[in-house]
Amino acid sequence: MELVNIFIKSAFIENLALAYFLGMCSYLAVSKTVKTAFGLGLAVIFVLGITMPINWVIENYLLADTGPFGTDLTFLRLILFIAVIASMVQLVEMVIEKVSPPLYNSLGIFLPLITVNCAILGGSLFMVSKEYNLSESIAFGLGGGFGWFLAIIAIAAIREKIIYSDVPPALRGLGMAFILTGLMGMAFMSLMGIDPSAI
Amino acid sequence: MAETKVLEKKESGLTFGKAERKLLTDPLDSNNPITVQVLGICSALAVTTLVSKAFVMAIAVMFVLAFSNLLTSFLRNSIPKQVRMIVQLVIIAALVTVVELTLKAVNYPIFKELSVFIGLIITNCIIMGRLEAYAMSNRPWRSFLDGIGNGLGYGIILIIVAVIREFFGKGALGGFKIFGPGVDFLVDTSAISWLSWYAPNNLMVLFPSAMFVIGILIWIHRSWNPSLVDIS
Amino acid sequence: MHSTNQVIKFVLIMTALVAVVLAGMNTFLKPTHDKNEAVYNKRAILAAVNDYLPSPVTELSDEQVEEIFSKISQTVIKVDGTSVDKEGVIAAGYKEGTASSIDMGKERKKPENEKILPTYGFTGEDGKKYWIVSVRGKGLWDEIWGNIAFEDDLNTIAGVSFDHKAETPGLGAEIKDNKDFYSQFKGKKIYDGPELRSVYVRKGGAKDPDYEVDGISGATITADGVTEMMARGLSYYEPYFNSLKG
Repeated sequence: MELVNIFIKSAFIENLALAYFLGMCSYLAVSKTVKTAFGLGLAVIFVLGITMPINWVIENYLLADTGPFGTDLTFLRLILFIAVIASMVQLVEMVIEKVSPPLYNSLGIFLPLITVNCAILGGSLFMVSKEYNLSESIAFGLGGGFGWFLAIIAIAAIREKIIYSDVPPALRGLGMAFILTGLMGMAFMSLMGIDPSAI
Repeated sequence: MAETKVLEKKESGLTFGKAERKLLTDPLDSNNPITVQVLGICSALAVTTLVSKAFVMAIAVMFVLAFSNLLTSFLRNSIPKQVRMIVQLVIIAALVTVVELTLKAVNYPIFKELSVFIGLIITNCIIMGRLEAYAMSNRPWRSFLDGIGNGLGYGIILIIVAVIREFFGKGALGGFKIFGPGVDFLVDTSAISWLSWYAPNNLMVLFPSAMFVIGILIWIHRSWNPSLVDIS
Repeated sequence: MHSTNQVIKFVLIMTALVAVVLAGMNTFLKPTHDKNEAVYNKRAILAAVNDYLPSPVTELSDEQVEEIFSKISQTVIKVDGTSVDKEGVIAAGYKEGTASSIDMGKERKKPENEKILPTYGFTGEDGKKYWIVSVRGKGLWDEIWGNIAFEDDLNTIAGVSFDHKAETPGLGAEIKDNKDFYSQFKGKKIYDGPELRSVYVRKGGAKDPDYEVDGISGATITADGVTEMMARGLSYYEPYFNSLKG
């Protein structure tokens, strides 16, 4: 039950995109159409779900005082985490290319873009500071990815519709996306602090 | 024959001509990382609550940007294609760790305030973006300048947003309270009746306000420079 | 296109270089890091008696902080009220064996009978004696902690300082940043007769002038965290306080 709570919390209440504003670069750049947003969102869920447990193992078994090296190696955390994320994205890219070429083509450049999506690294760093165990980390990773996925689809849907509205020229496109995201973020603020386990 | 030889010699030196100046000024306006290239947004939101934080962050990003551009440019012909992205990331991550270790030793309180965000400099898309777009195909000196220019463009936006957010959100600038009750620098409005109505706007301290401020900045920027309308 | 051999060589050399540079920097700077962290913690402890220092803690240099702190008597106790000597503190994992080296985060995870807690005895500029203790709890996003200073009666609060890992700036973070919030604690009492009542952070405004303080609008969860942290954290010190009062 605790795992489901963590999933719900990281997906809806502590939403990586709308409560913490992580992963904003790709969020704003890729949300012009729902189709592309959908592809990127799925890829984010996948990468978060995979890198979370791997980084957990690294953090708790390699870098901790109790690890094989016996000393506190936490200053290497950033490099190792990012190396894991980069390798995972490379791996995912190769697998998708083999297994489903149409999907690979439609994702195009978005796949490598995930490597620098701050939501992925931020998620791993949160996992470290919240000191989750292995299963909690996986729940957190999948929940966080799912929440980011929902957020980017939501704003893509709005942006697709707003093209038909009378927006001032200088505000069209990117400027409007910022303001929309700000409004969505405000809406999410009201959800802060809800504890699913208390319901 | 002699002409081309002379031209080549000039280019390889540490010149500072028109092209070099353009590298520094373009990112301030027509190629601004935040408002045009849509890069570096995450950190721009989180650290702009205080001008002091934004300033330290801008300097840190400029340092990492300039030196990772420089290093990558030096290595650009030797990096194997298969591991290109990972090598770039390792360079960035190593430099960020250097910044982190240095900050922890030089100014511990600021380090405590900024710890998570310093780690996130690695995923600051500006750095990766400029490595790919410029440093991989240009000479070291120019890449270094490009890094500084983009760092400046990023820094300017960061400081503008931070000034607005800290001023309206806390009635302060750089930690000095400027107006509002109980001020210790300029104007203690609990005594001055015509200013005491201002209660600091708490929304400015929260994330969504940064989105609004940047959105409006983009609006102003593109109204002033119409060539940028509909660019992204 | 590089051959596999060249790729492997490149990666190996790069990894070795980076590892050497970073490990070297870290080893070289570690003493400075540890010193900075220790001073930072000491500042937080002194912040609780800010009003009784020669100058406000934000104006003190690191050397001055160390000097003032060296005159403070440090005692480490267990929840049952007994004191722990230096060897006991070292055995618990703190190499320096002093009260200020105790990691409250680590202690928070231990069961009650294993916890060791720091107490500090400080003589202010006004010549009066003050006692400082440390508490730790949970805010909205992550842990929060604080130092509470008492007057010699071990009942009236002389000052507090709070800190947090990840509370929201402008909301939960106000427990640390907003003087109007934490200065409220000065003068509040924690005992109601023989009963440990602690201080209640009330949303909407304090009702009782001795045992309650105003909450922070928009930061109810963090404020509730402060209430809980103080009630539980101070209860750990109750047997020791009783032994001091004699």
